[in-house]
Amino acid sequence: MAFNELIKNFSRIRDYMREFYVYGFKSRDEYDKKSARSYDDERRRIESWLGDYMSFRTTPDGKNVFLSIDSRLTRHDPLYAAWKACSFTDGDITLHFILFDILHSSDVSLTLKEITEKIDGYLSGFNEPKTFDESTVRKKLKEYANDGLIVAAKHGKTVFYRRESDTPLPSSDVLDFFSEAAPCGVIGSFLLDKVKPHKECFAFKHHYITNALDSDILCTAFCAMQEKRTVVIKNLGKRDSEPAFFKAVPLRIFISTQNGRQYLVGYRTDQSKFSAFRLDYILDIEIGEVYKNFDALREKLERIQKHMWGVTLRRNENDTEHVEFTVTFGDNEEYIYRRLLREKRCGTVERIDKNTAKFSADVYDCAEMKPWIRTFICRITDIKFSNKDLEREFLSDIHSMYEMYGLEGGDDDAV
Amino acid sequence: MLFSELYSAYYNAVAKILACAVRGDLNESEMQKIVSENAFSESVLTVIPALKNGEWQLVTGDLRTPIEHMPTMPLTLLQKRWLKAVSLDKRIKLFDADFGFLEGVEPLFKPDDIYAFDAYSDGDDYESETYIQNFKLILDAVKNRYPIKMEVKNRHGTAVQMNVVPEYIEYSEKDDKFRLITSGCSYGGTVNIGRVVSAKRYYGSSVNIRGSEPRKPRRLVLEVYNKRNALERVMLHFAHFEKKAEKVDDGKYRVEIFYDVSDETEMVIRVLSFGPMIKALAPMGFVKLIRERLEKQKMCGLW
Repeated sequence: MAFNELIKNFSRIRDYMREFYVYGFKSRDEYDKKSARSYDDERRRIESWLGDYMSFRTTPDGKNVFLSIDSRLTRHDPLYAAWKACSFTDGDITLHFILFDILHSSDVSLTLKEITEKIDGYLSGFNEPKTFDESTVRKKLKEYANDGLIVAAKHGKTVFYRRESDTPLPSSDVLDFFSEAAPCGVIGSFLLDKVKPHKECFAFKHHYITNALDSDILCTAFCAMQEKRTVVIKNLGKRDSEPAFFKAVPLRIFISTQNGRQYLVGYRTDQSKFSAFRLDYILDIEIGEVYKNFDALREKLERIQKHMWGVTLRRNENDTEHVEFTVTFGDNEEYIYRRLLREKRCGTVERIDKNTAKFSADVYDCAEMKPWIRTFICRITDIKFSNKDLEREFLSDIHSMYEMYGLEGGDDDAV
Repeated sequence: MLFSELYSAYYNAVAKILACAVRGDLNESEMQKIVSENAFSESVLTVIPALKNGEWQLVTGDLRTPIEHMPTMPLTLLQKRWLKAVSLDKRIKLFDADFGFLEGVEPLFKPDDIYAFDAYSDGDDYESETYIQNFKLILDAVKNRYPIKMEVKNRHGTAVQMNVVPEYIEYSEKDDKFRLITSGCSYGGTVNIGRVVSAKRYYGSSVNIRGSEPRKPRRLVLEVYNKRNALERVMLHFAHFEKKAEKVDDGKYRVEIFYDVSDETEMVIRVLSFGPMIKALAPMGFVKLIRERLEKQKMCGLW
């Protein structure tokens, strides 16, 4: 089959784009899940969409393809391009433009028969004109009515179709900003495609653009949450060989601004417990029935959140671990104290004296805090974990770092 | 449904081609230009033949069209629901936006549906009238490229005056802060908008319009030891930088990251956060900063 830039199914390209963008060190042979032909097609598609960002490197294992994007320099997420590559049939595109030309204003209201006859008129000037029967046109109109583009209104026994009224768009500044800063920003990018070229005033720092690839999953989760419905999640964790299915009530989307991961936090009805599902591990999500205790679960999550440093949850909401550490700072290092205050999340900060402050927290998983605590290396004077294994590991890690940088004598290459 | 041909680059390109045909000024080179500007790099090989061969019966062989009106499409329900969600965002007050036309539309999500659990808590005050007023003026100045006179509180709380040319506004979700990137200011090119006390248009001549200072990228070389899922964590954490990665041997990877010199301290603590899972190899000045912190830590007597 000839190469086609467009795709019918997003899931396969989602994997490749993530691999190329986040990792980018695999050679063609290492993409073992799919055939070599499939790899070549997907690589060519991505190159076609994102050629400017595509790079290649030759290694002893073969040619590596990777996407290198400094998201601070791009004004818009280039990965959105993938969402604009949905395939369609010759009939779809022909019918689309003719339908909206016939229904060019919301004042034009026609029956199915009238629309079908007019379509024939549009096509009569072509050699071998296409024909669209009433059932095809009805199906398309119904599809567009579901999308909110067409209004179908019954007068007596006859259904009349008209286009939905045109609505104004907010300013390009609003679209430029929120298409990057709001969840499901790709929808803002679709809107930006409707506006004229303009000066783009916003740039974004610490901007994790891979979330774009999970937009459809996120969008479905939001739809379920608005209607307080359950979902069935098809999930493939990093270590899983086969996907697993979970029924859950989606309650809130947890977003990390420091690594870009997004999680659906929900209540698993089959196991009667709260769980967090990484969106990039979710292959598919289907909306189920209305869940009558949604509000009560949300309230419970609110309570639980007070002990969540990240996304780890416990079946027993009182099953917390304690951590406390003390940092010291100089007379001109007051910003360290301010750092503690602004980064403490659910913890508490106590000012011991002019040059010392103590942080403490009771959380479900102290291991989640270790990376943050390490950012205070050079001023930690005391640290205690209620989980003693964790305390040993933390101290051992610091010792390993001393060795790694040659501060313990001996091998400065050791891990 | 989010993945739909309604939002496709091909539909957008064809809409523009048809608009041109309706105006009666469509020609081959215009078609090529439209497709290359609105679709993908190989799209000309598909879109133009499909239109010319009558697979998509919208343009005749002599580049005329039976379409009579400028192609337009109303907003989809999904687009309206997203806009409604945007209208509920705390930052929308910074823009003069009227969403009255969305009355009766259910938002796709509400602020309470999202929780950025590791964002810093001292973000900008979007409720402050002064902040909103300053932001709007700065945005207008960026857009229309005129100099402004600002009074800004520095980190010691002292107010300083500056005349600057606003270049663009940078937002950090982690900090939940907007920063103005300027040129023509001797105090440095970046100003936290939250520190701006007042801002007004400047009509004088004592400002130097020279464009913002180019970033000074520096190459950080890291060795990543893939224990405790470190590789994935590192690659995700640093995903927003321009970077290169390669496998050195089993369980060991070399990652190059290009960061801005002005962010060096932030990079040092980000590298430290990974503990012994990563080791900074270059530049030597960066390695020295890590060593100094570890040396200081050693003196704290923890171990």
